[in-house]
Amino acid sequence: MEEHVIKQMKGRDRVLAALQGEPVDRTPVCNPTSVATVELMDLVDAPFPDANRDPELMARLAATSYTELGFDTIMPVFTIIQESSALGCDIQWEQKDNWPTVRMNNPIWNDVDDIKVPSDFLTHRDTKCVLDAISRLKKEYGDEVAIIGKTMGPWSLGYHTFGVEPFLLTSLDDPGKTHLALDRMKEITVEFGRAQIEAGADALTLPDHATGDLVSGEYYRRFLRDLHIEMVERIPIPLIMHICGRTVDRMGYIAETGFAAFHFDSKNTPMESMEAVDGQISLVGNINNPETLFARGPDEVGHEVCQNLEHGIHMVGPECAVPLQASIENLKAIPDAVKEWHRNHGCGGTACGGTANGGTLNGESKETDRGKTGQ
Amino acid sequence: MAELNDIANDFLKDEIEDFIERPEERTRIINAFARATPDMQEISAALIDGDNGTVDTLTRKALDEGIEALEVMDDGLIAGMSVVGIKFRENFIFVPEVLACARAMKAGMAHIEPILSASGIEPIGTVIMGTVKGDLHDIGKNLCIMMLRGAGFVVHDLGVDTSEDEFMDAVEEHEAPLLGMSALLTTTMPNMGKTIDAFIDNDMREDVKIMVGGASVTQEFADDMGADGTAEDAVGCVELAQRLLEELKQEQDD
Repeated sequence: MEEHVIKQMKGRDRVLAALQGEPVDRTPVCNPTSVATVELMDLVDAPFPDANRDPELMARLAATSYTELGFDTIMPVFTIIQESSALGCDIQWEQKDNWPTVRMNNPIWNDVDDIKVPSDFLTHRDTKCVLDAISRLKKEYGDEVAIIGKTMGPWSLGYHTFGVEPFLLTSLDDPGKTHLALDRMKEITVEFGRAQIEAGADALTLPDHATGDLVSGEYYRRFLRDLHIEMVERIPIPLIMHICGRTVDRMGYIAETGFAAFHFDSKNTPMESMEAVDGQISLVGNINNPETLFARGPDEVGHEVCQNLEHGIHMVGPECAVPLQASIENLKAIPDAVKEWHRNHGCGGTACGGTANGGTLNGESKETDRGKTGQ
Repeated sequence: MAELNDIANDFLKDEIEDFIERPEERTRIINAFARATPDMQEISAALIDGDNGTVDTLTRKALDEGIEALEVMDDGLIAGMSVVGIKFRENFIFVPEVLACARAMKAGMAHIEPILSASGIEPIGTVIMGTVKGDLHDIGKNLCIMMLRGAGFVVHDLGVDTSEDEFMDAVEEHEAPLLGMSALLTTTMPNMGKTIDAFIDNDMREDVKIMVGGASVTQEFADDMGADGTAEDAVGCVELAQRLLEELKQEQDD
């Protein structure tokens, strides 16, 4: 294996290199969904629900990911409801300590012909908020860390706009209708994605919740793989696919799309996930939220970080949007553990008693496929 | 003990061959179908196939021919739904298919429920189900409800964003021995514990067994908040409900 010396990188360069499968000085620490917590809201006086609707507050809260936690990314889109709100869905905005949610029991569309994108889609308060927040973050932090935006995929938009059960039942009763609906809704994904690129996003998360908790891997292949290939072609920056839950049975299909990375859930082990994607795509994740970041301490967080590093996961971070009650201490444990793991490896040991090799924070790193430092 | 060839319906035989792997479940299901008449087997087969139109027609026809409503429900609909539950648990089918089967079950029950209700036949148990305050996610709860109904329980669905008072009022109103609470979000999971505390504060806790569930709910979490149990999936929810109902009966007998 060829060895290269890699100088210390800025967070932005580190993330973009990992997304492009290039060598990195150390494993980037990312969360392509959200690191907003109540503690961070209090720290910078940017509470929910206002921080989801006011660009200044959104940017201020998002920046804590870098300024307070030391992550290599800033992601200002904390929720999955911004574009659904702009489409006309009924939103329950909740309070500081809870997530805003689409009232999916009140669907806005019943049929494919109902699908219409409002003319003010990109100037609606809740989409514009995202675009303005990205612009602010790009201006202030754009040279240092990767600014990640988020545009919801058509399958997720289908849940929000048609309701989960009607949408899924239609996919069985009339698959052609579902294909048509997805084809129309994909334009929303592309339009919002491109607008975020113009605003300054370096990469985009694309959540499209065809999870194993709801549908089969074959369903992903049948309804979404080709659509996702098209999105990769039409949205010209690295895309990070996000699907919660058990997804190993579809990771192979996801790896065929050309997405830069897949953000995966702790229900899938690092080892089986690495095998499933077979070097075709980077993996980001998969620190457990409810049992580890929410309910345990920094030591357990560090242990999970090391498990991921030892299996060669390309970017480490929470498996999904972190619990709002998670502690800053636990979140800071993620970059701390990553740095320690690389430092210890460089000194000839491992932080977690494992045997894998890897790069060092400031020194040499081995080049491998998809920019892994831990292989 | 019956054997596979004692079942007349070929579709059902194939389903058992292809999808029912655990020996004890295989035995139970073969016995149940072998005991059922070919007409009831046909209803089960249509339900497993998610064919609501056929279930509707066959159920109506069976009742018109004088077959007891209870027999149609037990030997046709519930027997079929038990196969659906196992296929779902083992990832042979997913939520869209389960929704279609539940729709077929509903089509059959629409004919049966009025008859059972008029004849005063007691259900095996009544369950109150709801998603807790602040949480609007309901697909997991709805799957549990489908499986509970598929197993013969009467379920009162309180929907989403359900307050402590709404849970308590419903348990009281329906004299329900079982309550199931669902939460998807870590932010709303503590509301399960708060609701259990409200039952304790109002001296209602001993009258009801409480189940909790949701993607992030663990046994440890369920124990910490004082619930009587949790389950990993909708089939597990039915097994838990059956077990808790037995426990409650025993406690009341003692």
